[in-house]
Amino acid sequence: MDGTIEEATKAVAGLSVGNSTAQPEAGAALSKNALKKELKNKQKEEERRRKEEEKAKKAAAVPSSYAQKSLAADDDDMDPTQYLENRNKALSALKTAGINPYPHKFHVSMSVIEYVEKYSGLNSGEHLENVEISLAGRIMNKRSSSSKLLFYDLHGEGAKVQLMTDARISDLSESEFAKFHGGVKRGDIVGVVGFPGKSKRGELSMFPKSFVVLSHCLHMMPRQKPAASSDIESVKKIDAWIPGSGRNPETYVLKDQETRYRQRYLDLMLNSEVRHIFKTRAAVISYVRRFLDNLDFLEVETPMMNMIAGGAAARPFVTHHNELNMRLFMRIAPELYLKQLVVGGLNRVYEIGKQFRNEGIDLTHNPEFTTCEFYMAFADYNDLMEMTEKMLSGMVKELTGGYKVRYHANGLENEAIEIDFTPPFRRIDMIEDLEKMAGLNIPKDLASDEANKYLAEACTKFETKCAPPLTTARLLDKLVGHFLEETCVNPAFIINQPEIMSPLAKWHRSKPGLTERFELFINKHELCNAYTELNDPVVQRQRFADQLKDRQSGDDEAMALDETFCTALEYGLPPTGGWGMGIDRLAMLLTDSQNIKEVLLFPAMKPQDEPPVKTP
Amino acid sequence: MEALRVISSTTHPLKHLFRLASFSKFTPSTLCFHCPPSSITVASAVRSRRSSTSASPPSTSDRDAVRSIRLKKVEELRATGFEPYAYKWDRTHSANQLQELYKHLANGEESNDDKDCVSIAGRIVARRAFGKLAFLTLRDDSGTIQLYCEKDRLASQFEQLKALVDIGDILGASGSIKRTEKGELSVCLNSFSILTKSLLPLPDKYHGLTDVDKRYRQRYVDMIANPEVAETFRKRAKVVSEVRKTVESLGFIEVETPVLQGAAGGAEARPFITHHNSLGRDLYLRIATELHLKRMLVGGFEKVYEIGRIFRNEGISTRHNPEFTTIEMYEAYSDYESMMNMAEEIVTRCAIAVQGKLIIDYQGVEICLERPWRRETMHNLVKEATGIDFAEFGSDLNKAKDVTLSSLNMGSNNQEANSIRACQSIGHVLNEVFEMVVEPKLIQPTFVLDYPIEISPLAKPHRRHAGLTERFELFICGRELGNAFSELTDPLDQRGRLEDQVRQHNEKRAAAASVSKVSSAEAKKSDDDSYDVTLDDDFLTALEYGMPPASGMGLGIDRLVMLLTDSASIRDVIAFPVLKIQQ
Repeated sequence: MDGTIEEATKAVAGLSVGNSTAQPEAGAALSKNALKKELKNKQKEEERRRKEEEKAKKAAAVPSSYAQKSLAADDDDMDPTQYLENRNKALSALKTAGINPYPHKFHVSMSVIEYVEKYSGLNSGEHLENVEISLAGRIMNKRSSSSKLLFYDLHGEGAKVQLMTDARISDLSESEFAKFHGGVKRGDIVGVVGFPGKSKRGELSMFPKSFVVLSHCLHMMPRQKPAASSDIESVKKIDAWIPGSGRNPETYVLKDQETRYRQRYLDLMLNSEVRHIFKTRAAVISYVRRFLDNLDFLEVETPMMNMIAGGAAARPFVTHHNELNMRLFMRIAPELYLKQLVVGGLNRVYEIGKQFRNEGIDLTHNPEFTTCEFYMAFADYNDLMEMTEKMLSGMVKELTGGYKVRYHANGLENEAIEIDFTPPFRRIDMIEDLEKMAGLNIPKDLASDEANKYLAEACTKFETKCAPPLTTARLLDKLVGHFLEETCVNPAFIINQPEIMSPLAKWHRSKPGLTERFELFINKHELCNAYTELNDPVVQRQRFADQLKDRQSGDDEAMALDETFCTALEYGLPPTGGWGMGIDRLAMLLTDSQNIKEVLLFPAMKPQDEPPVKTP
Repeated sequence: MEALRVISSTTHPLKHLFRLASFSKFTPSTLCFHCPPSSITVASAVRSRRSSTSASPPSTSDRDAVRSIRLKKVEELRATGFEPYAYKWDRTHSANQLQELYKHLANGEESNDDKDCVSIAGRIVARRAFGKLAFLTLRDDSGTIQLYCEKDRLASQFEQLKALVDIGDILGASGSIKRTEKGELSVCLNSFSILTKSLLPLPDKYHGLTDVDKRYRQRYVDMIANPEVAETFRKRAKVVSEVRKTVESLGFIEVETPVLQGAAGGAEARPFITHHNSLGRDLYLRIATELHLKRMLVGGFEKVYEIGRIFRNEGISTRHNPEFTTIEMYEAYSDYESMMNMAEEIVTRCAIAVQGKLIIDYQGVEICLERPWRRETMHNLVKEATGIDFAEFGSDLNKAKDVTLSSLNMGSNNQEANSIRACQSIGHVLNEVFEMVVEPKLIQPTFVLDYPIEISPLAKPHRRHAGLTERFELFICGRELGNAFSELTDPLDQRGRLEDQVRQHNEKRAAAASVSKVSSAEAKKSDDDSYDVTLDDDFLTALEYGMPPASGMGLGIDRLVMLLTDSASIRDVIAFPVLKIQQ
C-alpha cells in the first residue's frame, strides 16, 4: 500500500515541478499520511489539488498566493482550454494515486430546501452544534476571507444555503484545510457534514466539519454577478417567482440564447427561474391529468408511428422499419386512434403525448410538441366549452393564486399585458361575427364558387393577403385571423366553423353548412380545438373526398383519407365530444415565454456542424 | 335467464336482417349476439358462449349486404325526422351503478318511485323481439343491463325499435327499474333514442376470438366482442397511474425529453432514422431517454422521471414492438441499492392496485411478489446453474470459452457455441452463458447484480470488485423488467467506454460484412449490425460540468402490464401494435 502511495506522490510531484511554495507542504502532508489510512487519502487529494491549483495559477500568469486573493477571480482570467486541461490533470493525478474522484455514494440527510425550511427560524448568531446534518449540492459561489475561513453558496433543487467553512470547525488540520479548499472550484458538486446555524449578520448557514467533492466541474462556469451580495439578492428575488408573473430573460446571468437552449443544464444551473418554468410545465400537465382522472377518464397510449398520418393536416416525418420493410409516418395527431377506442367501448379516454410535424422551426413551432386530446362519449361541444373553462380557470387559480396572468405579449421592452382567465370565456360565432365586424354578407353556401369569389374579393378589399391556393377555407381563415382572432386576448371561444374548414367535426344541428366546433384563442393564438365528433361514416367519407379536392388544387394541408378509421365509424361511434390542447403553448402563457424553446427542455436546434458565419 | 332460453335458435345474423328489413313483425326475432345477457362474471360468460351454437363469421359480401340494409335504415330514420347520429345524451347512471343501486329488488319487483326514472346509454349487444315485448342487452363501459321493452309503454316507438334497431347500435334509453320474474334487473323503457346507427355487423364472438390478426388490426371490434380486452387497457391505465403516483409521492418531477435526436444514445439498438426537411438533416428516434435525463441531474434537478415512448428498429415478437413505453428515473446522491428498493416499491404497489394481492398468477405460474426479492450476483447465479466460476479465469478469455463450451456440452457447430466463440471478452462470455442458461429460470422476482463492465457502458465501476459494475437487472418470469445502475459520472471514463462501444460495434459490423458473402443467413445477421452507432458528444460535455453521484433505473411498462394482466403477448397490452403489411 505504501509503495503505491509513494509512486503516486512522485507522479503528482512531477506535475508540479518548479513550484517552490508547494514542496515543503507536500512533505509535511506525507509525514502525516503515516498516521491514518483514511487521512492519507484525503490528504493526497488535497495535496494534488493544491498543486494543480498552483500550477493553474502559474499558467495564467497570476503571481500570488491563494490565501490573499480570491481563487475564483484568478480562474476567471484563465483561458478556458487551459482551465479544462488543468482540471483534467488534477483528476488523472488522483486516479493514478488510486483515489476515485467520483465517489459512489454520499448520504444526504436532508435536501437543501428542507434545510432552509427547517432552520430559517434560528436567531442570528445561534449555532446548533449538537445537530448533525449532511447536505449535498453544487457550489455556485466561493469567497474566502482568509485561508482559514471560506464562504460557499451551496445550491440544491432551487434553494441555497451558505457554507461557513471554518478551519477551526473542520476535521482537517489548518494546512490540510487550506490545501483542500484551494482545490474546490465553483461548479463542483460537494457533500458536507456539519451543524446548522446563523451568521451574526443573520444569514442561514451550515458549518461543515467534513467536506468532500462528489463530482467535478471541469469547465469554467459562466460567471455570476461579481458582487456576492447581489448574488444573494438575485436568489431571493428569483425564489419569489411564481407562475403567471412576468419574467425577463434579459436579466439572466446566462443570457446567450444559443447556449441556454443547447446546454440547458447550464441554463438551469445559472438562471434559477428556469427550473420554475419546467416545474410549472410539469404542474400544468399534472393538473390536466388530475382534472380528467377525476372525471373518470382513462389515460391511454396510441401509436406514434402509423401507416397513414391522419387526424390533422400537416407534413409528417417519414421513417422506415427495416425488418418489416415498411414505410412509417410519425403521428401528426392521435385523434383517429382515440376515436377507435371510443368505438371499442372506452367511453372517456385521453392521451397526453408528443406529436410530430415536419415543419419549420420558429417562435411557436417545434418539430415535436406535446398535446392533450380527450374524447368523451355522449357529450357535445357545449359540454366541452364548459369543461375547458373549468379546467383552465381552475388551473390558473391553483398555479398562480388568481385568474390573471402577466404576459409580455408586445416584447420585453413594453409593459406586460394582463390575461384574465375568469370564467365564463367570451363566445364568438365565426361567420356571424365576422360579417358583423367586417360588414360582409357571405353567401350561405360556403362550398360554392360564389362564396369563394366573394371571400377573395373581401380579402383584397381588406388587404389581408392570402397565399395561394385560394381555397375558400384558406380565405376565410385569413379574414377570421384579421377580424376575430386579433380581438381574442383574454380567452375566447370562436365557434361554429364551417364544414369546409372542419373535416372531422359534425355538422351543426341547426345551422346549415357549419359545424359544432370551437377553437379557444388566448393572446390571439389558438390553444384548444374541439368539436362534436362527426360519427356518420357516410358523411365522413364525403368530407375526406372534399379534402382530396382541396389537395388536388394544391392545398397540401388538406387531410388524407384513412380507410381503417372510416371502417371503425361504420361499427358505430357514440355521440362524442373531442378536444385537443397544446401543452407547450399553455406552458408559454403561464411562464411569460414568448418563444416555445423557453418551455422545451431540449428544443430542436439547427445543426452546429458548420461554423457560424461571423460578421466582422 | 330469458337469453338462454332463446339462444338455442341462433341463426345466421344476415337472415335476420333480411327478415327485419321486410318487417316480419310477428316472428320472434332471436337475433342474438353471443354475449352474456347481464353483468355476470367473465367466467360464466365464457360458459354461456360455449353452450350456444355459433354462426359462421359474415363474409365480405354478407358485410356489404348488411351495410346497405342498414344504410337504408339510416335513410328511413332521417325521412321520418329522426337523426340516426345524435348529438348528445345525458345519462343519469351507468349500467353497473344500476346493478349496485337496485341489488335489493326482488324478482318481479318494480321500483315505481318518481326518482327511479333513469337514463342510460350504450351499445346493444343482444336483442330478442316478440309480438308485444322485446329484450335488448345494453352494454356501457361499466357493464351490461337488460332493456325491457313493452309495446304498451313505448307505443309507436315499439315498432321503430323492432324495425330499425340492430345489434351494434348505440342507444340512449330512459325508463323505470324492475327485476324480471327470472331475476334479470331491467330498465323498463319509456322512451329510447338511436344515438348511433351501426352499419357493420359485429363479428361472431366465437370466430372473432380466433382471428388473431383481426383482433389487433381492428382493436375496437376486439374490445366490443371481448369486454375483458377493454379491461386490460383499463388496468394498463391503472398501472401507469400507480407508477406515476409512486414516484411523485417520493418527490420525482416529470419531464419530457426529445424523441427526435441528432445522436441515438443510451442503449445499444438499431434506431429509426427520419429526415427533417427544413433543417435539412437526418434525425434519429430515441432508443432510450437516459442521456437527456442525466443532463437534468447536471442542471440541478435531483429527482426526475419520464414515462415515454422508445423506438427500436427491430423485429416484432410476443415481447417486442418497435415502439414501447418505459419509465426512466434518476435520483441524485443515491446508488443502485436504493433503486432496488424503488423497483420493489413500484411493482408491488402496482400489483396491489391492479390485482389487490402480491401472489399473482402469470400464464399458469404462481409469482410471489412479497418483498424482499432475491438479490444475487450474476457470477453466483451462473456458478449455481452451471458450476462455472468465472472469477477463476482472470483475464484468460480462451480458457473461459473452452471451459464454457465443454461444461455446457455444446456441440461444435450450433448457434449457441458460435455466439460463445464470437465473444470479445470474458464479460461477454459470462453474459452469454447467463442469458442462455440462467435467464429463463428466473421466474420469481430476482435482482441480478454486478454486471461485467464490458457490457455496461453507462454504469459506474463497482466500488469493491474490479471488472464489474454497480448494475442490476430485474427479472420476473424469465423476462427482463428493469435495468439500473449507479450512474457513471466520470466524463473521461464515460468517453472511453462509449468510444469502445462504437469501436466494438464497427468491428462486429465489419466482421459480419465479410462473412455475409458466404451465406445468406449470415447476410441477415450483418444487416442487423449495419447501422451506425453515434457518440453523443453533448452528453459527454454535460458530464464535464459535473453530474452528482446518482442512480437511475428503467422499467418496461408494457412488460409490467403483461405481468399484472396475465397477458402472454406484448400485443395484448398495446392497443394498436405494429403489424406486418396486410396482403
